[in-house]
Amino acid sequence: MAREQPIRLTVNGRVYERTVPVRLSLADFLREHLHLTGTHLGCEHGVCGACTISMNGRSARSCLTLAVQADGANIVTIEGLRAADGTRHPMQQAFLDNFGLQCGYCTPGMLITAIELLRENPNPSEQDVREALSGNICRCTGYQAIIDSVLAVARNETAPPGEIGGSRDRQPARRP
Amino acid sequence: MSDARFVNQRAVGSPVVPDEAVPLVEGDGRFLNDIRLPGMYHVAFLRSQHAHARIRAVDTAKARALPGVITVLTGKDLLGKVEPFRSTPNRFSGGESIQHWLAVDKVRFCGEAICAVVAEDRATAEDAAELIEVDYRPLPVVTDPRLGERESAPLIHESCPNNYLIKREHQRGNVDEAFRKAHLVVKRKFRIGRKQALCLESRGCVAGYRESSFGLTVWISHQLPYVVRHYLASHLRMPENDIRVVVPHTGGGFGQKASIYPEEFVCAYLALTLRRAVKWVEDRLENMVASTHARDQHIEVEVAVDRQGRILALSSDVCVDVGAYSTYLWSAGMEPLQTAGLMPGPYRVPAMRYRTRGVATNKTPVGPYRAVGRPSASASLEMLLDEVARRLELDPVELRQRNLIPLEAMPYRNANNLVHDNVNYLPCLKLSTAKAGYQRLRAEQREASANGKLRGIGVACFAELTGLGTSTAVGPGTLLQPGRDAVTLRLETTGVLSIAAALPSQGQRIMTAMRQVACDELGISLDDITCVINDTAMAPYGFGTFASRTAVFGSGAVIQAAKELRRRMLALGAHLLQVPAAELTIVNSVIQTIDRSKTLPIREMAEKSYFSAKNIPPELNPGFEVTSFYDPKLGSFAGGAHIAVVDVDAQTGEVKIVRYVAAEDVGTIINPAVVEGQIIGGIAQGIGEALLEELVYDETGQPRTITLADYLVPSALEIPRIELHHANTPSAALGGFKGCGEGSIIGALGAVACAVADALSRHGGDIHEFPATPERVLKGLGVLPSEA
Repeated sequence: MAREQPIRLTVNGRVYERTVPVRLSLADFLREHLHLTGTHLGCEHGVCGACTISMNGRSARSCLTLAVQADGANIVTIEGLRAADGTRHPMQQAFLDNFGLQCGYCTPGMLITAIELLRENPNPSEQDVREALSGNICRCTGYQAIIDSVLAVARNETAPPGEIGGSRDRQPARRP
Repeated sequence: MSDARFVNQRAVGSPVVPDEAVPLVEGDGRFLNDIRLPGMYHVAFLRSQHAHARIRAVDTAKARALPGVITVLTGKDLLGKVEPFRSTPNRFSGGESIQHWLAVDKVRFCGEAICAVVAEDRATAEDAAELIEVDYRPLPVVTDPRLGERESAPLIHESCPNNYLIKREHQRGNVDEAFRKAHLVVKRKFRIGRKQALCLESRGCVAGYRESSFGLTVWISHQLPYVVRHYLASHLRMPENDIRVVVPHTGGGFGQKASIYPEEFVCAYLALTLRRAVKWVEDRLENMVASTHARDQHIEVEVAVDRQGRILALSSDVCVDVGAYSTYLWSAGMEPLQTAGLMPGPYRVPAMRYRTRGVATNKTPVGPYRAVGRPSASASLEMLLDEVARRLELDPVELRQRNLIPLEAMPYRNANNLVHDNVNYLPCLKLSTAKAGYQRLRAEQREASANGKLRGIGVACFAELTGLGTSTAVGPGTLLQPGRDAVTLRLETTGVLSIAAALPSQGQRIMTAMRQVACDELGISLDDITCVINDTAMAPYGFGTFASRTAVFGSGAVIQAAKELRRRMLALGAHLLQVPAAELTIVNSVIQTIDRSKTLPIREMAEKSYFSAKNIPPELNPGFEVTSFYDPKLGSFAGGAHIAVVDVDAQTGEVKIVRYVAAEDVGTIINPAVVEGQIIGGIAQGIGEALLEELVYDETGQPRTITLADYLVPSALEIPRIELHHANTPSAALGGFKGCGEGSIIGALGAVACAVADALSRHGGDIHEFPATPERVLKGLGVLPSEA
């Protein structure tokens, strides 16, 4: 088997063509090759959830995905959450306003997972949020402020957050 | 940006949204692994597969021959070139351990570094490490400290008889007489397993050669940058001022990033000798064996009480499995000395005695982790108090009320020689029981019990000594007494204020806290204040972030420095406005007369000061830069009371927390939302400690928990909604602040442990070993046979 392989994929709306080692993980590809270091590695064995990215609209562990598996995929990372004018995604704003992070290492995975949850279930209960985030470890907050952040978005938004990285207009982030 | 709506026009006490979190939510955080320098090499470590073995030979030829490999470093290569780590706990007792950065002729735990491989990329370095051949001669292992302290046990360090890295016996007051005269004596055992901090970001460093003006620049994921600099200088034998240490965004610390470890020092040595930047980032499998562990204690505690249940004396025996080496800087004394010495907690204890020791075993060294020693000290005493209450047929809350140190008795010097003052132990207990509806909880428990359900209620009170000044050691019987930290305030030429300190944040929002304090003290708008806390090239000297000290030291130093800076600003303002300084005030970055008839923006004043100095009398223009060291002398006690309600499934042994109420006294609050996050986060780690987290070794010293699938930390499903209340009273420190980073983990272990034991006691069961895994719960219920 070839040690390297060409891939073509879209990341945060931009198309990339690269030749990559076949053993390279998607996380390392994003971080080392595209310099998108907002995606974090916490365990490299798929448990902690810090490396979660959106791949073709579904959340995925970028540490367990090979870069070559992402050939042809549409990827969104934390760097791709803001609107074109720089406005934060409502989920980013809610995490900021509700103190939904301390060290911030788990935040990229939490944001991606929470946005996916609200797309599928715009009015989740607290228990729904806890279950949806149960594959993402946070060691600092005890989760409460994270859950409150997600519930704040669910409560306040007239429309659910759009496809992440899509072109759909978002509401401007509000200050409390 | 931080357009905070202040409470009562003061920044302190307001939930200011932290600017410092913006890069983290936008994906622009700069953590250690995000740093790359041109031409940087990568380092991987070969680690011991044996718990205890002689190294007969190390053959690196195949590794060196792999394309892309720059060099391979062995322990022998470092002999005579760098100083190994020598660590001794204290002046009383115990042994010294010598830890080579790379093992020389002996390995003492699985995961100990033997070789460092340098390559053009990390994958190649790891490939090469697998090609190194080590000839081991396995030695007998010690995995149980109670066997390790026997005369017949194999020695881990020849210089440490009975494998004692620390041993201390201490007595104060007439303990024997108290036990003789007691109405009741109760004794219990408590065992807490080995755990680790599990920072989501593991350790790592980038060591740069001749970057900027420094021979050596080290970017390191660490809590104590100046301490790292000091030890780099002494161990590499180079001038301290030729070293710069920078701490990037840090993904959790919790004490695990407060020790000195070999790997980062090897990287610094490599950068200097290869004249090239090198990078090492610990992967999770390494982190489980190479970063310090915590706890792992066997405790026996005995209490003598009078007829009313008042404590007369306490006697404890503490045995800690401290692992293979005395952790550098802090030593093996941390857990053994603090567990035994801080056992009395918030209770009046007229006499106490303890025997404590840290026994070396063939496991990863034990180092500092959030609230060192106190959670197990507190939990073992709380469970004992519950048993006293049962025997005396008293309610556990009533028993605690009779023993807590009341405000009117303060200042109160306890048997462990610590002075309690300005702390609301009793109000916290009363508040938490009132908010929880304690009597109703007990009624519901009786109802559940009648329906055959196992419900338990645990109440735990705790004391946490924070912000330790020069008069108080970081732990009883330890020698470390750093006790001071500095802040520099500088008014820049455009009138904005910079705060510099060496007090790194691992998410505690210390920059926001110091900005809030400076805003109130100086009248400068929050948006005009920035803060840098992570760089020895920019900050005045500071010991760093640990032991719930940073808010107290940073804020105290800001208050001190601001007093002088404000005096200078008003003096120059008075000159420029031609009014007496006493008639001036500063509001929203403007110096003004009280009637606002004359105003001078600070920006204008600063510009005049820096650029038109010729027109100003020099005595009125001494420069707007003030450095102040703050020493709070004694520490400040924080405290609280936690109530946990659990349901235990008698079939599966599963424990579910159904209610959690906490009331805490954390002194004057700087930012309530930040404080709440610290407390709730600490409770979550305490719940993990009580129910889930345990590092397991087999009898050959092989670690069995090396992934996050084996080592369970709480997810959002295991942590209930925490109901948090405050009964704060200001401390004697400047600003009335106390630390709040660690206290809650103490209360959480005690409350949950007591709740589980309370539930089991309804079915005649009991539990002494934690975490309370389903297996241990079923053993406690007699469903599974217990080990002898």
